Amino acid sequence: MKKPGMRQQLIQLGNGAHALATQMLGNGDDAADAVHDAFVKVFRKPQAYDENKGPLTPWFLRVVRNQCLDLIRRRRPTEDTVDELSDSAPGPEASLEVIQRDQELQSALTKLTSGQREIIVLRDYMDLSYAEIADVLEIAQGTVMSRLHRSRMALKEVLGDVEGGARLP
Amino acid sequence: MINTSRIADQHVGEQLSGFIDGELTQQERQFVTLHCEVCADCRENLERLRALRERIGNASLSEVGEDKWRETMDDPTVQLTQGIGWLLFIVGMLVIAGIGLVGFLFNDDISVGMKLLIFAIYGGLATLLFSVLRQRLIERKTDKYKDVEI
Repeated sequence: MKKPGMRQQLIQLGNGAHALATQMLGNGDDAADAVHDAFVKVFRKPQAYDENKGPLTPWFLRVVRNQCLDLIRRRRPTEDTVDELSDSAPGPEASLEVIQRDQELQSALTKLTSGQREIIVLRDYMDLSYAEIADVLEIAQGTVMSRLHRSRMALKEVLGDVEGGARLP
Repeated sequence: MINTSRIADQHVGEQLSGFIDGELTQQERQFVTLHCEVCADCRENLERLRALRERIGNASLSEVGEDKWRETMDDPTVQLTQGIGWLLFIVGMLVIAGIGLVGFLFNDDISVGMKLLIFAIYGGLATLLFSVLRQRLIERKTDKYKDVEI
């Protein structure tokens, strides 16, 4: 890779990209394949990234997202994968309480649409700015706040149902 | 200048998200702050959204680890060099094995029975090796725990 800092930056982006791909594809293994393919694409043609046009993070996430969209298009229309999201559950080092909370969150995320999950991961998990999110999702910057808010409210509602349901005898 | 009379009446919706994300203008921030001081619903909503954001930020939505991506980045180079290495090794071994086999088959000093016996031993070993390799390759493809580090 010609650009020296690019390799390390991409490695650090791997987990976030994987989280995004998992939310889009509903499957940790497919997500890993998508991120791998995105890495290979970037590796083969690093000159495709022009740093004068913007930072690397949104650009690479767009490559990953397009890879995921290609995979979704190639899938059979009846294939349902959102139930498999728990594949990327935390490892054994996490405490039981943290694992349960994360699984609950994963489960709640599966109740949202793919678009809602994407924008939540980009902002709340990856900490991208609204401008960067607009760049990744190829939408107007003005629509990011409203779309994100609707997605958060939907997640809040689902989590409220889950937590409320869990308290029932 | 903010119109103070409408602060209490006008609920803030999506601006709450902009507020916790630091994406509002100074005037908008001021409006949200003042409104939340007098509106319990929006204040509660703000706190819940903040907690939700923190929860997602602290969650483990991917447990793959940087090492995996480092390996992936190295993958094309490693694959290419390994491919060339294996190709040269296999071609060399085939040539040597071919020469050895021809020499062995056309060696008049070794009886046909001995030739068959030696052939059976090496043939059996090769078949066992192939069988184990095949099994390992199948398991590697489907093994869920191959990336688990102990």
